Amino acid sequence: MNRAATPKNVPRLSAVDLELFANRLTGVAEEMGVVLQSASMSPNIKERRDFSCALFDAAGDMVAHAAHIPVHLGSTPLAVRAALDAMELQRGDVAILNDPYAGGTHLPDVTLVAPVFTARGKKPFAYVADRAHHADIGGGKPGSMALATDIHQEGLRLPPVLLMRGGQWVRETLTLFLANTRVPDERRGDLEAQVAALRAGAARTLDLVSRFGERAVADAMRELQDYSERLVLARIGRFPGGTHTAEDLLDDDGAGGRDIPLRVSIRRRGRTLEFDFRRSGEQVRGPLNANLAITTSAVFYAIACVSGRDVPPNGGMMRPVRILTKPGSVVDCTFPSPVAGGNVETSQRLVDVVMKALARALPGLVPAASGGTMNNLALGGRDAIRARPFSYYETIGVGCGAGPRGDGGSAMQTHMTNTWNTPVEVLEAYYPMRVHRYGVRRGSGGSGAHRGGDGIVRDIEVLVECDVTLLAERRRRGAWGLAGGGDGKPGADEVIDAQGRRRRIDAKSSLTLAAGERIVVATPGGGGWGKAARTAKASAGHSPSKKGPRRAPARS
Amino acid sequence: MCKRQGLSGLRAGRRAVIVRACADILRRRSRVAMPSSRRPTRLAIGVDTGGTFTDIVFADGRGRGRLKVLSTPGDPARAVLDGFAQLFGERRPDLFTYGTTVATNAMLERRGARTVLLTTEGFEDVLEIGRQARPDLYDLEPHRAEPLVPASRRVGVRERVLFDGSVGRALTAAEVRSVVARVRALGAESVAVCLLHATANPDHERRLGRALAPLGIPVTLSHEVSPTVGEYERTSTAVANAYVQPKVAGHIRALAAQSGAKRLRVMQSSGGAIGSETAAREPVRTMLSGPAGGVAAAAAVAVRAGLRRIVTVDMGGTSTDVAFVDGEAPRRADTAIGGFALRVPCLDIHTVGAGGGSIAEVDEGGALRVGPKSAGADPGPACYGRGLDATVTDANVVLGRLPAAHFLGGSMHLDVERSRKALEPLRAAMRVRRVEDAAEGIVRVVEGNMERAIRTITVQRGQDPRSAVLFPFGGAAGLHACGLAEEMGFPEILVPRSPGLLSAIGVLDGRVAIDRLVPLSCIDPSWKWLAAQAAAAARGIRTEVMREGFASSAVRVSTFVRARYLRQSIELEVPLEEDFRARFDDAHRALFHSADPARALEVVGLRVSGSGEQPPPRGKPLAVRTNRRVEPSNTMPVVFGGRATPTAIVDREMLPVGAEVRGPAVLTEYSSTTVVAPGWKARVDVDHNLRLVPA
Repeated sequence: MNRAATPKNVPRLSAVDLELFANRLTGVAEEMGVVLQSASMSPNIKERRDFSCALFDAAGDMVAHAAHIPVHLGSTPLAVRAALDAMELQRGDVAILNDPYAGGTHLPDVTLVAPVFTARGKKPFAYVADRAHHADIGGGKPGSMALATDIHQEGLRLPPVLLMRGGQWVRETLTLFLANTRVPDERRGDLEAQVAALRAGAARTLDLVSRFGERAVADAMRELQDYSERLVLARIGRFPGGTHTAEDLLDDDGAGGRDIPLRVSIRRRGRTLEFDFRRSGEQVRGPLNANLAITTSAVFYAIACVSGRDVPPNGGMMRPVRILTKPGSVVDCTFPSPVAGGNVETSQRLVDVVMKALARALPGLVPAASGGTMNNLALGGRDAIRARPFSYYETIGVGCGAGPRGDGGSAMQTHMTNTWNTPVEVLEAYYPMRVHRYGVRRGSGGSGAHRGGDGIVRDIEVLVECDVTLLAERRRRGAWGLAGGGDGKPGADEVIDAQGRRRRIDAKSSLTLAAGERIVVATPGGGGWGKAARTAKASAGHSPSKKGPRRAPARS
Repeated sequence: MCKRQGLSGLRAGRRAVIVRACADILRRRSRVAMPSSRRPTRLAIGVDTGGTFTDIVFADGRGRGRLKVLSTPGDPARAVLDGFAQLFGERRPDLFTYGTTVATNAMLERRGARTVLLTTEGFEDVLEIGRQARPDLYDLEPHRAEPLVPASRRVGVRERVLFDGSVGRALTAAEVRSVVARVRALGAESVAVCLLHATANPDHERRLGRALAPLGIPVTLSHEVSPTVGEYERTSTAVANAYVQPKVAGHIRALAAQSGAKRLRVMQSSGGAIGSETAAREPVRTMLSGPAGGVAAAAAVAVRAGLRRIVTVDMGGTSTDVAFVDGEAPRRADTAIGGFALRVPCLDIHTVGAGGGSIAEVDEGGALRVGPKSAGADPGPACYGRGLDATVTDANVVLGRLPAAHFLGGSMHLDVERSRKALEPLRAAMRVRRVEDAAEGIVRVVEGNMERAIRTITVQRGQDPRSAVLFPFGGAAGLHACGLAEEMGFPEILVPRSPGLLSAIGVLDGRVAIDRLVPLSCIDPSWKWLAAQAAAAARGIRTEVMREGFASSAVRVSTFVRARYLRQSIELEVPLEEDFRARFDDAHRALFHSADPARALEVVGLRVSGSGEQPPPRGKPLAVRTNRRVEPSNTMPVVFGGRATPTAIVDREMLPVGAEVRGPAVLTEYSSTTVVAPGWKARVDVDHNLRLVPA
């Protein structure tokens, strides 16, 4: 990642070819995604699209990814690296892994890596990889998002091992894997879909090779990374000098620890942009720890956002970036810390703190904080109605932070995730649940010249006794406003029993609901942007900024 | 042979400006024989109403003719009827097939009906939340399209149907009454109803539909317009239908009555025509009506020209539609227009809000934006003499690429000074020296918008535009074809005859085709049982097609199974035959590199498709005078790359087969204008297509 930009980094492909190859290589990853989604079995993958696909060059550097889930995309390169370090993949082999301490991020995210061989190639020409969130991977609670204090409570750990050898399933691996999940049928279907996607990716890569030749495709894979590096370098050149520091806090770790600080200092050192997280808090007892892969992916995401849309996100983009962490901290945790929420919650706060620092460096570009949580909800148990075990997982959108260009969007997935929802009609047909409300949480966005977006209210009744894990953030402090804008409303969660009595529950809760009980999750709004102009006049409750920004400071 | 009528008699008080009534009715010629089997009196008309122009082509057994009039957005029927009066006088058409973008434009420009949405209580915001994802992953300030129905007009209904069709909460008579009262109080002009699990049990939707009927406003029931599972897509489809319906239905019914056509059909997004009553009820099926006709016609022209892979770019006044055709136009089960999900069968056409009438403005950030707002036909581009919005058309006029004196064959005068005046404020805001510089900026931006659309359907799907031929049509695409080809590396451009009328030609030639979905939910059913389920829908479709004037023997009905492996994601469609299970496994293997014949198969529905077999209305191609010499009518300065360059202005209709014109040249013709940029040359092929290649 830190390979320095060489003086040889000058364009060799024409602008048109570069653009065409960027799209062709991204097309490989996109087609993998279409196959994975279409062939998968669990609603979490087929409806929510909680997966990502990417293409890597012969050295294992990321060439292109499909625009899927940011927290996957920035961290998958480390998974491929771990697989290549652990084994030499042969023709027809597929490696599987999920161990956060060997290339993974959190256990439900299962990554498959396969080499692509040309017809006569002796060594892999490229690699394809896909990562999908499996709705259950064992552990203390259905959904494998338990409030653990140790990784072993979170589920099955898979360091890189072979799932297929020479095109055949390795029965031992598969049997062992399926024996450790609560819904083996579904897992098997999803794994088959992941394998199908790898095959499609390999086939499309070989198509390109047969059309343009091995040399041209290999060159293009390298050129594309060089190109991204050049663009990022050019932009780093305009980054203001000095150190830009910010701090943000996680509410708690679900195991007693509160106000966990995340701190970053961003500074430009010549041709390198340095992100120093070393002053962040120590790793915590509860599952809010992020490993280095997650911290890397948060920085990757922020760079992709502020670089502008014309920079193809790939390995080259990160070459001029340096990330400093302290092992054993909450942003670079060590074995055997639990990590389930690091991937989904700490990653969001990492983006918040990076954006806050960038807002200081580049005022007028970065919007206020978005909801800052994925509102993870996992429900599972035995479905007496359909006579089968079930495990359901979803994340719920929030309000976006308002920015210089206008109000924040409402009810959306932000930053490190972009999963779709499971349609209520599908959810109810597959699981013993009934949804009572799925609506916008009006008035939850922060005030300001531009209002923060509103969060969501989701109200789900369980029809059978059910284990529930809620893992959410921004319940004590709302998403921060910017440039004088107000903070968004924090989230709030409650359980309604069969008699209609309501009780508040912690944002990090593990509970058993009886049949007929409901869990209601109200997600945070986004921060506002800019001082609300003469609030007395605009008190009718209307957003004063519907028509767009007023007197927005110039973008730097 | 060509009757021309000027504008003189048709001015004041008319909302429709007939810019030219020119019926090129071909005399008998030995080269193209008239099909002797046709009754010479049968008059078939194809009309394509765009946001700016309404195109009319017809065949009456003796030949074909054409007319292009300005659209009348306030009452789109006026333009059509005035056109008919010009062309046919009192004569009534036997068959009138209609392609319309009225529905699309009403939605994109948000000029539809004041719509109320009824949902299951607690789900009023499904329309707004969509699928919860943001459209652009790395956008710092992501936004989705504002819903067509605001929160204040989304009404929750106390009722609940469960996934298996059972009723969790009954819909009481009192609730029905109170809902109807609220709909009335909200001043609804149209109502969409989408209740949860309505495809499993449509009873509650139907009861609301019946109770709303006395209000006398259109009601769209989601299970009828899109019988598919998934509440957001179904809601969005129903809302779009309701939103555009009053406008479209009123328009179609007025046309049916006033045109006196014996039969009126409307082109659907899927490329087949349906009866006017179905279209008036379900206009969402016609969202890509005109464009579908154009792509179908383009595919036919390409095949005749020996081309397999083409990229069609149909640029009209309001929007540009692009499609990639590889032998035939690909289909899809759903689409999104302007960020709104529509789950109805359609051709795979990508639309962007970039047309000749697209308005250019400099935004607060100092960037030049073009579209999606359009000046349409009224007031139209500044050069039309009414509005003062600077549009793409004005930019082309300023640059000399759209010769003011030759627009629509010289029948409509373009006011160059007015265009310059409209661009002047932009010039200042852009801080450039000359109005021409601003004009070239507008052209570059709009071509960039078109390029992005083309990339979506080619490069992003693994297709290289450099291996395809660019196929511009519509009134304005010929102005931008060379610029696009240079940017994207198309090796050749084919401009068909009468490019501005191609959609209308496709509509005229369109066949009747009706699709209905039958939602099911069953595992491993026998094909006999499925065939029995399809029977009722098949009978209904047969009747529907026969109502379009076909004998029972001329109706073909086929049924497709929509299925997936149990609990898998996207369903595949295979013909309902005895071996449908094996066909499904084969299709799955072909697409996803794997199949499992032992796995349980879940059937989610049937698609029953009926079509009427008929020979397309024939008649000779549009008139072209082939025996005249090329006479550049004159040479005028046209701006290319900042320099005014002496450029030949040539009447395309004077060009014989085999003629060659070197750029820079501007080829004018009745329905369109083609710019041959410096460094390009154009040749007329045997079918009278223009073939442009780098010189």
